[in-house]
Amino acid sequence: MRNALRCLVAVLSTVFVLAGFAWSSGNRLTPVPVSILMPAPFADASKELVNRFNREHQGKIELTINRGPLETESISDLAISSLLLGDAPFDALMMDVTWLPKYVAAGWLEPLDRWFDSSDSEQLVQGARLGNRFENHLYRWPLVADVGVLYWRTDLMDVPPSTPDQLRSVALNLVQSSRVANGFVWQGRQYEGLSCDFVEVLHGFGGAWMSADQASTTLDTPAAKKAAAWLDSLIRDGASPRAVTNYAETESLQAFKAGDAAMMRNWPYAWAELQKPDSAVRGKVGITLMPAEQGEKPAATLGSWGISLLRESPHPEETVEAIRFLTSETSQRERFLDYGYTPTAEALFTDPELLAVSSALPDVRRALNHAVPRPPTPIYAQLSDVLQRQLNGLFTSGGSATETMDEAQIRSETLIRSAGGMA
Amino acid sequence: MALIFGWPLLRYAWLSGHADSVLTGLVPVANGGANWLRLLSDQRFWVDALQTARFGVVSVGIELILAMAIALLLDQRWRGRGAVRALTLMPWALPTTMMALGWRWIFNTPYGPIEQLAGSLGAGPLNLLSAPSLTWLVTVLADVWKTTPFIALILLAGLQTIPDDLYGAFRLEGGTSVQALRRITLPLLTPYILLSLLFRLAQAFGVFDLIQVLTGGGPAGSTESLALYAYLNAMRFLDFGYSATVMLGGFVLLMALIGLGALILRLSGLIRPLQT
Repeated sequence: MRNALRCLVAVLSTVFVLAGFAWSSGNRLTPVPVSILMPAPFADASKELVNRFNREHQGKIELTINRGPLETESISDLAISSLLLGDAPFDALMMDVTWLPKYVAAGWLEPLDRWFDSSDSEQLVQGARLGNRFENHLYRWPLVADVGVLYWRTDLMDVPPSTPDQLRSVALNLVQSSRVANGFVWQGRQYEGLSCDFVEVLHGFGGAWMSADQASTTLDTPAAKKAAAWLDSLIRDGASPRAVTNYAETESLQAFKAGDAAMMRNWPYAWAELQKPDSAVRGKVGITLMPAEQGEKPAATLGSWGISLLRESPHPEETVEAIRFLTSETSQRERFLDYGYTPTAEALFTDPELLAVSSALPDVRRALNHAVPRPPTPIYAQLSDVLQRQLNGLFTSGGSATETMDEAQIRSETLIRSAGGMA
Repeated sequence: MALIFGWPLLRYAWLSGHADSVLTGLVPVANGGANWLRLLSDQRFWVDALQTARFGVVSVGIELILAMAIALLLDQRWRGRGAVRALTLMPWALPTTMMALGWRWIFNTPYGPIEQLAGSLGAGPLNLLSAPSLTWLVTVLADVWKTTPFIALILLAGLQTIPDDLYGAFRLEGGTSVQALRRITLPLLTPYILLSLLFRLAQAFGVFDLIQVLTGGGPAGSTESLALYAYLNAMRFLDFGYSATVMLGGFVLLMALIGLGALILRLSGLIRPLQT
């Protein structure tokens, strides 16, 4: 007994002495501090990863994640305010895909070409390769892939609609036969989500937001007018509830999750929500692409978040090491298994372990192969603002789709002209 | 005063004479009066100015009437008055953004209580947040709910400065309580009314957080305020030169409105009690 005690004391004191050594040697090498600003959900999903990174880089790099606000717009406000003050308190920034050209034009980002090459890009799924470059430089490395998809109820239809006409008639039939309260819910509120939805419909009708040379907008084309008229007809005929004109993602998901809608346009994150025990449609949901007219390619608006290196960062090498770690295949696997974030590595979409968790993964991948970015220009926010106001005006105040889109085109052209071209 | 008010104003004035946007790499470049010319022909600025004025005047007007009633009630002696006085301040103490989120759910179609009530009465979906002609009234309602207590508090403080003997003497001479309200209370309360009007109008013209959270300026831009437009220009479009111009333009309009209000008050003789 006494021997055992003596042994224990000896072991304990050795441990303490060793720990002491480790501590003091750790102190001698002050680690390089690296900090990255992320929206709250991503920061929370990175906790374990950050701990592991810091263990692996003990004494060399100390990574901290600044937990920003939840909403995309709030995190952009926070980032911009700190960047305007010059001396940003972080080295890298989690970026939404639409911010990139604006931030590059403002001179806030450092190109990543030195660190990532084509062999890195080839690992990525098609949709994750888009939206990271501007003016021939790489400015962002993707952390999660994201595209718009169509959710449909497997208990209300055998196959999902594939053309706009089908979608409309399926929704109308289901509503008129009182099998479901609402046909198709989407994002019609005057905000960025409306632009995202419209891009998908627009491409489905064979149109595009910008001309092929990216020099001007093409919102007054017959395809664009058809797209606007189709969305408007959904509301007028009752295929979509009038309330979608004030719906963002949350409201659409709420209606669909409660079993009050036959179809929903949303992002892949909704899948995990719909499989929760409190969901009325658990196990009754499929994912597909938004509809397209016969002969046109269906489109999925590119969302996605990635990390950008800030020009002001005093430690670019260490920051890139942290970016590499956080976006590695291993990290993506963990982020998917623990939090449901869509991976960016092509290989993970066929990984049996991941497929066992989400049967929707192949459908999301298919959508990622149809990803369409929003116009990559520094004045994107203004262009999108014009489109949102015009479309929401059409849905809520009436008028014709033709006039609406003609006006959208005129206002967009004015904007582009006053900006001296598309930059 | 010069430091916290004058300096930013001067800075805005300076910025409004410059192009300072993402297109200039955020470097201010003097562009003469281009921003101001753009403002004059910017239909959206004028529409927003009108919408802001409509919001401010209507909500402050309703608030003043309600607050007067509340203040008169809270000035009487009755059991539990202290607790009610504290309770009425609750909406004022709540953060605007949280309150706006609450309203957004209250008016949610179809799950919010308003729609549920309308549905059970057979009135169908009202879609109050999707009707450009009505949604601004929802923003007014939210604002009235939140800031009426503020005016009530100022008016209550005013009421308590009026000595009770005045009312006693008035009653002895055979005056009714309605006459007392008109002859004693209102004239003596005028400085307080004007003070709260000034506070609230200035505040209402700068309305931002309520609108941003409740409607985002929609539907179809029908609830967008000048502050929201200035914010969009600065933080979304990174166009600081024009944002400053919008802010300053709004400020000039507000000053003009207040000046006009003061002129009307002076001409109608209402402002006299202030000078005595």
